[in-house]
Amino acid sequence: MKLTTREGLASWLDSLAHEVNLIAPRDIEGVLLYRPVKSSMEIVLEFINPVLSVKEAFFPATERLLTIEKTGQQITLNETLPEGKQVVFGVRPCDARGLKVLDANFTNTEPFDPYYTQRRSNTTVVGLACHQMSPTCFCTSVGIAPNDPGDMDVMLYRVEDGYIVQTVTKKGQALLSALPLETKELSQNGSDLHNSYIYDQAERVPVPEMSTWLAHFRDIYWEQVAERCLSCRICAYVCPTCRCFSVRDEVLSSENGRNQYERIRCWDSCAGEAYRRIAGGHNPRPEKGQRLRNRFLCKFVYYPRQYALGYAACTGCGRCIDACPVNIDITEVMQHIEEVSQ
Amino acid sequence: MSYTLEIQTKARELLTSKQVECVIGYEVGLRGRTRPAFVYDAQDVERLVWNQACTHNLTTYLNDKLNPQGPVKNKTKEHTPGRVAVVVKPCDSRAINVLLAENHFPRELLHVIGVVCDGILEKVGQSGNLRSVRQLPISDLSQVQSRCQRCEGHMPVTYDTLIGECPSHQELSLGKANQADLIHIQAMTPAERAEYWFSQFDRCIRCYACRQVCPMCNCPTCLYERDDSLWVGIRIGLNEKRTFHLGRAFHLAGRCIGCDECERVCPMNIPVSLLNRMLAKEVEALFGHRAGLAPIPPPFVTVLSGS
Repeated sequence: MKLTTREGLASWLDSLAHEVNLIAPRDIEGVLLYRPVKSSMEIVLEFINPVLSVKEAFFPATERLLTIEKTGQQITLNETLPEGKQVVFGVRPCDARGLKVLDANFTNTEPFDPYYTQRRSNTTVVGLACHQMSPTCFCTSVGIAPNDPGDMDVMLYRVEDGYIVQTVTKKGQALLSALPLETKELSQNGSDLHNSYIYDQAERVPVPEMSTWLAHFRDIYWEQVAERCLSCRICAYVCPTCRCFSVRDEVLSSENGRNQYERIRCWDSCAGEAYRRIAGGHNPRPEKGQRLRNRFLCKFVYYPRQYALGYAACTGCGRCIDACPVNIDITEVMQHIEEVSQ
Repeated sequence: MSYTLEIQTKARELLTSKQVECVIGYEVGLRGRTRPAFVYDAQDVERLVWNQACTHNLTTYLNDKLNPQGPVKNKTKEHTPGRVAVVVKPCDSRAINVLLAENHFPRELLHVIGVVCDGILEKVGQSGNLRSVRQLPISDLSQVQSRCQRCEGHMPVTYDTLIGECPSHQELSLGKANQADLIHIQAMTPAERAEYWFSQFDRCIRCYACRQVCPMCNCPTCLYERDDSLWVGIRIGLNEKRTFHLGRAFHLAGRCIGCDECERVCPMNIPVSLLNRMLAKEVEALFGHRAGLAPIPPPFVTVLSGS
């Protein structure tokens, strides 16, 4: 096992910031977010989880897809694919699993999303194992763990003398070859990694079967929970796996008779009232209960089924529970569905 | 009797006698977090509580309950309106007056359970910051929210049932305290203020939680979220965010009652209420009007209509 010191890590991060776009947890006026950093001094190393997930680095809140220029009868389209290498540092297992969930839709299924796919292949994911679970974390209920390296390229585990470094994928290996991290060999064996972390393994949240969710589709429960829902978008925007977006062509400033437009896509959420409204004005989900139900079923039924995920699209990060202004709690919903099915 | 018991007793009475079909109050969820509750059955009144985490402004649900055929933002479902009771704090109660003045529903359909409130704690139901780097020191947990420190009188301005006793004159807080953040901004030059606000809006993700939680933001289609991008595009960019926040502040001038829920729900800790408080001061200075003290329309209606 390889160990690096805190100083070794800091100096590695500093040189990394010079070579690539380094994205790491930063304190922005008291809000923890994954943001580009210029030096290791800006990085926060002790934290639970940033407010927004790491999906921002792959699927940004707003993204230009192409520019359109119309001169007379001539129309020119110019695709604007993302360029440049990235490293995302300090990723938690729940967010890394979230990327795998997004991959199912964006990169593993035709038509491939070239924007997400390009960012994904240009980015190396460097994880940092959690030291504790917060009261709203439930990753262990959905098949991952706070120190799970499975979805990372490189994984770090904080220990007393520094950080254990584990190379997980070839991409991770390539990064460490190009930019070596100063390490020394440890004589302990790997099982210590699990023992040095004490996290709450007690309460597991039940994850109902897909058929169970569907059996309760028409229950009045959805309307009752949704009664306090504000139909804001917070739950979807903080979620590592929510990926719905809106696309629109909008005008860019025009000069010299050149008409320029851009096609952009932006985050949207099925919780919003207008989300499912279609041309002609019909809205198949005009009621809050319908929209709330849709969001949960998408996580546990629709998305896993459509992409044959093998696991739920929820990664147990718990951000939606903390962020919801009216305490709509996904674990409470999961427990209720399991209970009424007994 | 504790406030909780008084509220439960009143709710039971109102529901059993069928004076109302629903009581909108607060309950505590499985994790111990306080949240809005809708009680339809007298047998369920024991769900209702009062505590210092009752931060939500429940009047935001009134339009949907009492005006369901009208243009409503965020509909629960189609139904004919019946009478409802709502538990309100002094700040929330002022929202009722604004909604009445704007003809959203008749007063007779509402039974107001007004609470004489001691203040709501900071950091309760807080979005965003729970996962930030800072650990909350114990002293923070005992501090009430800054809007509570500004509260004048602690008495609801309208009620049918009063929970608690009208504070004696000596107990009335000065209320004008704690405008330090507003004074700090007003001391900035326009260029400094612009820089400050742009750096705040930069974090905004246009989740619209601030708008959705606000009882006075009740346009069925928000100007800033039109399908045809008529006034503002969908880009989550600085120009659009500036337009939304500043425009929203203007639309609330003379109407915002200062519950600060907009700021509480923001996952990015943007001090949204500062904008509203700034304009509230301007409206008071220009027109002598303060929102919600009585069910009269804001000056933008009365002055423009010549009345």
